Amino acid sequence: MDCETRMMANEVFLPQVVQILNEGHTVTLPLRGRSMRPFLEDGRDKAILAAVKEAPRVGDAVLAEISKGHFVLHRIVKIKGDRVTLRGDGNLGTESCRIQDIKAFAIAFYRKGRNEPDSVKGWKWRIYSWWWMRLLPIRRYLLFAFHPHIPQRLLNKIKRK
Amino acid sequence: MKAKKGFKLRNVCNENIIVADGIENIDFSRIISMNESAAYLWRNIQEQEFDADRLVSLLLEEYEIDEASARTDVDQLIVKWKEAGIIE
Repeated sequence: MDCETRMMANEVFLPQVVQILNEGHTVTLPLRGRSMRPFLEDGRDKAILAAVKEAPRVGDAVLAEISKGHFVLHRIVKIKGDRVTLRGDGNLGTESCRIQDIKAFAIAFYRKGRNEPDSVKGWKWRIYSWWWMRLLPIRRYLLFAFHPHIPQRLLNKIKRK
Repeated sequence: MKAKKGFKLRNVCNENIIVADGIENIDFSRIISMNESAAYLWRNIQEQEFDADRLVSLLLEEYEIDEASARTDVDQLIVKWKEAGIIE
């Protein structure tokens, strides 16, 4: 069968995804962008999203509409009243939104082309999350070390020798 | 041939996509989408037996094309629908 990849504009596509979620489906979406590195890679990994059924908590990875039509899939780092602060795992800066701007939960991720998703309730995500949030003070160095160009450069150097 | 039950057409961002009823997860990384004419045919053969001739005549009713090209399109479409597992 013919297969083609079609890109859709987030601001048009994601509101429809949210609607599908609210009808009771879950949705699997290919991920774009580098803001949830190092766990999730641009173009490689997928997320399973579900509607918001319970109160969001710090540490949850959520789909939030941080301004009209602008969606991010980032982690909640702070909740104060109805103000929520988000930070992508691969980012240093934060965004903020209201609690009602949280449109979906990420409940699992397909990584590295595997057919079995890693649940956010599973040990892998939980251990990674625990460490990654605590390593925030040195995150800029870790992101640099995990940056794909670093190993590549080293490899090239070795090859040249 | 018959369309399998429970495969509903749904418009997402001007794409006609097939979503299976009762299926919990909708996987947008591998979705069956239909162009306008395929979607038109799909809507018109729900809950009935159909064959290639029926699809050809539906196409001729709606679009200004000659029968030979309609038949070529229909033959290709039936193969694709079978591969996608949405007809039986």
